[in-house]
Amino acid sequence: MRVVIADDNLLVRKGIVALLGEAGFEVSAEAGTAAELLDAVDADAPDIAIVDIRMPPTQTEEGLVAAHAIRARHPGVAIVVLSSHVEHGVATRVLAEDPAGLGYLLKDRVTDLDDFAGTLRRVAAGGTALDPLVVSRLLDAGDDDGPLQTLTPREREVLQLLAEGCSNPGIAERTGITRRSAEKHVSSIFAKLGLPDTGTEDRRVLAVLRYLQSA
Amino acid sequence: MTSLAPSEVARIRSRFAARSHSRTFWIAWWAAAIAGELLALRPFITGPVDGIGVVFALVGGSFCAFGLIAWHRRPDSRSGALMTATGFLFFAAPVLGPLEAPLAFTVYVLVVDLWIFPFVALLLTFLTAGRLQPGVDRWLVASFALPVIVLQAAWLLTADLVDGTDLTGKNLLLVFPDADFAHQIDRLQRGSLALLGAVTVVVILARWLRASGPRRRALLPSLAGAFALACFAALLVNDLISGTRSQFLLWCAACSLVAVPAAFLAGLLRSRLARGGLADLVRDLGSAHGADLERVLARTLGDPELRVAYWLPEYDAYADADGQPVELPEPGGDLAVAPVERDGRQIAVLVHDASLDDDPELLEAVTAAAAIALENAHLHAESAARLADLRASRERIVSAGDAERRRLERDLHDGAQQRLVAISLQLRLLQNRLRDDPSAEQLVTTASEELARSLAELRELARGIHPAVLEHGLAAALDGLAARSTVPATVSYEADGRLPEQVELAAYFVACEALANVSKYAQANSVSMRVQRTNGLATIEIADDGVGGADDSLGSGLRGLADRVEALDGRLRVVSPPGGGTTVSAELPCGS
Repeated sequence: MRVVIADDNLLVRKGIVALLGEAGFEVSAEAGTAAELLDAVDADAPDIAIVDIRMPPTQTEEGLVAAHAIRARHPGVAIVVLSSHVEHGVATRVLAEDPAGLGYLLKDRVTDLDDFAGTLRRVAAGGTALDPLVVSRLLDAGDDDGPLQTLTPREREVLQLLAEGCSNPGIAERTGITRRSAEKHVSSIFAKLGLPDTGTEDRRVLAVLRYLQSA
Repeated sequence: MTSLAPSEVARIRSRFAARSHSRTFWIAWWAAAIAGELLALRPFITGPVDGIGVVFALVGGSFCAFGLIAWHRRPDSRSGALMTATGFLFFAAPVLGPLEAPLAFTVYVLVVDLWIFPFVALLLTFLTAGRLQPGVDRWLVASFALPVIVLQAAWLLTADLVDGTDLTGKNLLLVFPDADFAHQIDRLQRGSLALLGAVTVVVILARWLRASGPRRRALLPSLAGAFALACFAALLVNDLISGTRSQFLLWCAACSLVAVPAAFLAGLLRSRLARGGLADLVRDLGSAHGADLERVLARTLGDPELRVAYWLPEYDAYADADGQPVELPEPGGDLAVAPVERDGRQIAVLVHDASLDDDPELLEAVTAAAAIALENAHLHAESAARLADLRASRERIVSAGDAERRRLERDLHDGAQQRLVAISLQLRLLQNRLRDDPSAEQLVTTASEELARSLAELRELARGIHPAVLEHGLAAALDGLAARSTVPATVSYEADGRLPEQVELAAYFVACEALANVSKYAQANSVSMRVQRTNGLATIEIADDGVGGADDSLGSGLRGLADRVEALDGRLRVVSPPGGGTTVSAELPCGS
């Protein structure tokens, strides 16, 4: 799998490159700025682009702007946006239009290589990834009296993974339950929260996210 | 128009302070005037009637009566008081004259001509409300002291009047009897009196000739007085040359003198100032400035088209209160110009209808008043500028603080945070190489976990210093706040696009604090945040459905934020009726 990495911090970029290399990814290009990133993607479209949200010159949201540009010019390229801090408001913006093939993660997640590699593969395959911190914050802040309280502890755990973008087999693997019971938990959650089970996994993320947001 | 010297401004100022007198005050003066007049007329009531004597006896009464009326009706002008003083001093001759006691006679001779001082002052100062102006006016009045006081005293020291021709009586001051010397002194006195009288007449005539048409009309009372003075001067000259008294000139002098007070009263009451306009002007000018000043002056002068044009030396041009250039009218047209001066410098002009020139006294008083008001306006503008400075410096302090916090957050993010991420990546690489050494791998894993916790703490620290989420806009930041709120929160962002950075920051902090209060005190089921932008004003409103009744102690954090909001020239409001929820709103100017 071919990856382009954009991060203006050389040490971090080289670290990610080295780790991904060990995990079997092929890093086809590195970029220190949004412009370099766009050039690299234009020149040789990768499977996935890993983009730091803050890059020169303003160090604000150059990465997001670049991600939008890539999405518009190369819809087939999956994108994972990395950030030193994650915000729910930014998450909804990242995933708003079409969550398929998109990810929004804390930069620290890179160090958990197995998890990160799994996430990258999932996103590259059209899945969605949302940082657990965003989801847990939403879950913590949720309505004390609402339907969330009717969820069992197991269901809450499954909901968290659901919101992060895990597929049913992924949930089964992460929680150590069978694929079948994972499916049952997911159906139960959707029923309790009154959400339509749309089926496609990326839509599920958005549905859960919107639900949590309004809870 | 004459230029307005500082004393002129002081004169107008003193007009504003003109105090009204009690009824007793006026009754006393009137009683004294009537008594004086009766005493003056007594010889003609009891004895034979002497025509010229009766006329002279009426002069004092005329000055007193018209003077008291003028004094009462025009307290702002001293002309009335000067007329009254002239009248009472004029009584000295008819009242003391018939008394034969040596002391009365001596006093009579000493004071007989003192009326000349207030009389000359009255003639010279009609247009300046009875206040002597520095220069010619003062010197002229003072110089009358030579014949009236110095030479009169010298004459009394030497003249034996027991067998006098004009005056007959026992002179108590006779110390060095010397008939020749006394005669010379008498001639000198009459000569100098005639000369000074003539000079005064010339000064008044010259002023009259220099004046424009309306101003000439206003100066007519002075001209009438000057005629009387000219008659006296001619009488004295005739005395000196022919040695006999001209009855014709005496009649002319006496009759014109009786008529002068009436002319002055008419002149004083003719001005619109007499109809209370000045009182309104004084009251309204206290706080008037800019366009207000123009309005007040226009009303006082009865000229709705009146404009105040400020002189801008740096542009060499005139401009109105809004800074728009003003073209001065050509002379001779329907519009005329009256300069407003302060400390001898022209600071503005009043562009007014030319017909106002009919009332120079009013126009002069109003321009002087305008000078004072402009001085006030100047001070007002200065303090306004200082206030603006203060506000700007408060805004600078707040934004400097914000910029510093932002810089700190950036430094943490670009420096420490990135470095820690890089180190944890390297630790991860190291871990992969230590697969064969479980104990070493364990050490690295522990270090990695420590590092992850440090990163998390650092992230929270950086967020506390400056909410980096604002980089993605206020809407995203408020979404984040709503997501973390323990009370269910909704966000309605109705402003188009981004707001100025400082405004977003202030709105964000207000929302943070308001949400914190909601979760701590409000016992609310829901809270809504709304951002709007209309007409250059951004409004953020955080409303909950809780118990309300938030008192001051709850809002201490919000009060701190009020400073931040006010530094941006905005306003923070908390509405919290008991049982009616709490609404915190901040209005922040944000350009158009």
